[in-house]
Amino acid sequence: MVWAALVDWLVGRALTRSAIFMPKSPPVILVYQGLGGLGQLAATASGLLVLGALGWLAWVHLRTGRGLILPFALASLVFLSLAFLFIPPAGALAVAYHLNLVLAVGLLGMQVLLAPVETEKKVAAAVVALALATSALHPLVPAVYAALGLSGPPGYSSTIFNLGELLVVLAAFALWWAYGRPASRRAWLLSAVPALAFTALHLANPAIAGVISIWSVGLSLYLPWPVYTLGLWLAALAVFSSLERREPAGWAILLLAAGGYTPQLSSHAFLGIAALALLLPLPGEPFQRTQLLPKRGVWSSEDQEIHLE
Amino acid sequence: MIKRTHFLLGLVLLCTAALTFYKIPVASSQGLTLIAAPVEGDLPFGDPDSDLWGSASAVEVPLSAQNISKPVLLETKVKSLTVRALHNGSQIAILVQWTDSTQDDHVVRAQDFRDAVALQFPLVEGQPYFCMGQAGGDVNIWHWKADWQADIASRQDMETAYPNMYVDGYPYAEVDAEAVASVGDYSDPNYLPALQAGNLFASAARLSPVEDLIAGGFGTLTSQAAEGQNVQGYGAWKDGKWRVIFSRDLASASAEDVTFAAGKTHAVAFAVWDGANNERNGQKSTSQWLSLQLQQARSQAPGAEAAPVERPWYKDPQTMAIILYGALAVLVVIAGFIYLRLPQ
Repeated sequence: MVWAALVDWLVGRALTRSAIFMPKSPPVILVYQGLGGLGQLAATASGLLVLGALGWLAWVHLRTGRGLILPFALASLVFLSLAFLFIPPAGALAVAYHLNLVLAVGLLGMQVLLAPVETEKKVAAAVVALALATSALHPLVPAVYAALGLSGPPGYSSTIFNLGELLVVLAAFALWWAYGRPASRRAWLLSAVPALAFTALHLANPAIAGVISIWSVGLSLYLPWPVYTLGLWLAALAVFSSLERREPAGWAILLLAAGGYTPQLSSHAFLGIAALALLLPLPGEPFQRTQLLPKRGVWSSEDQEIHLE
Repeated sequence: MIKRTHFLLGLVLLCTAALTFYKIPVASSQGLTLIAAPVEGDLPFGDPDSDLWGSASAVEVPLSAQNISKPVLLETKVKSLTVRALHNGSQIAILVQWTDSTQDDHVVRAQDFRDAVALQFPLVEGQPYFCMGQAGGDVNIWHWKADWQADIASRQDMETAYPNMYVDGYPYAEVDAEAVASVGDYSDPNYLPALQAGNLFASAARLSPVEDLIAGGFGTLTSQAAEGQNVQGYGAWKDGKWRVIFSRDLASASAEDVTFAAGKTHAVAFAVWDGANNERNGQKSTSQWLSLQLQQARSQAPGAEAAPVERPWYKDPQTMAIILYGALAVLVVIAGFIYLRLPQ
């Protein structure tokens, strides 16, 4: 699912959309048609897999007796997402969908807070959950107004959007603090590559950087650009460090990036839920987790507590 | 023996290929949606103050500077607009409102630029590039212009900007025309080729302040033929705000026009120009795509007149905002309380 989501994000929503900047010679058009087809396949695959993952999560929570609300919310999301392929997402159904999204994110975030993990990991998961919840809240408020027939306009739309973007950047810092330390020199160097690429693109042409950013990850870049550069560097560092330690948080961060902020499609929003679930130690998860390695080669009782059987 | 994971992976790949080949989506749209509320009777085409607009929920649309196609302005003045829409089963009306401290509706002088707003609808399935579409992804554009609106009341010409100007006389104008003749005073159309060619910019009289266009990428913007200009509009500036109404029949026989259908999800994008900031052509504020849905009309007695809905206190927008954000604040407080009670 992560690989499919990454191809969908980097090829389908970033590379192919840069076609507007390219000269339209026949070979270039042919290449972009091929990339577009690949991106479409990846989008379908990730959409299919994330629907399955949400259904699986609902089933696991139901089977392990962790309450009814979260399984109900997850199942409702799957059901409504499929229903909206046939009926327009409007009125009470649209409100129900967005409420379920906020609810699922909130409950998963709460479970991370209650889980026996280190404080920095709780903080990271909480910031991620807040960013995802704000991302879901942004379309929820207009949906409520439309469903109730309120004149509006809904207040604070821009404020909510900007707050969510700030939380996304903060989440990158928090994830690095929780999962990116300590890091090898190789990880530091590798993770600098995307940050340097973003910096070079921004310095060369801030307009193209802005358009690619809003198209691919939904960020408007309203904050000073060095903040995004640093956030990208630290998030990439958290990914490399986690993957080196074979922690699932690395995959979770990749899923969060592939889902993006205020996504336009339900499947991208669901990637965020799957990512949050990966930060949570659940029994019998759908994702293969390997045993965590001890920090700096020393086992602690705390490390052992968060192992998954 | 095939492993279970390999079997599942193969199954997923098979399903993916089939779904992609038959173009069956597995994800639904969940972005901002503009709902066109159904009303009975005539739509308020020329009345932005009509109570009927209260029947439609407004959506706030963020805007940013168009900075891909040169020349660009890195900062544009208009950062957002609000939009609401109504339909009566045969026509649609869309009210767009934005803040602009100056009313710029004169473009006679070379240094003057107009305020304007444009709506854009894809003519293909899906969402082409949000600025003017792309090759193979044409868009229908409705462009309201403040100077065209002013022209309807009184056609602007040089004397509008320079009321004390004097010329000896215009050749080819009617003999009884005064020294300063307007375009309508010209008797011989052979000397007015743009007018004779149907160029809307040269039109002696404006039938609508909205130009109906089609585009398929930067540099392809084309005005529809005069007989295809079927979008009406009305704009008024008051207290530092422009309020502009676009209206058209839901259906159109022209392939260059978007056709609306109740229950179907359309896409719409916006662009705004602030003339006082020298914004013109590609120097503008643009939005991303929004979803536009025409809500199905509820059954109503035939012949019933359109009437604004009486709303109870709890449906007041401000009250609703307070309730929503209050509930959110309570949730945050509860979350904080639980967090503080967590065992170390």
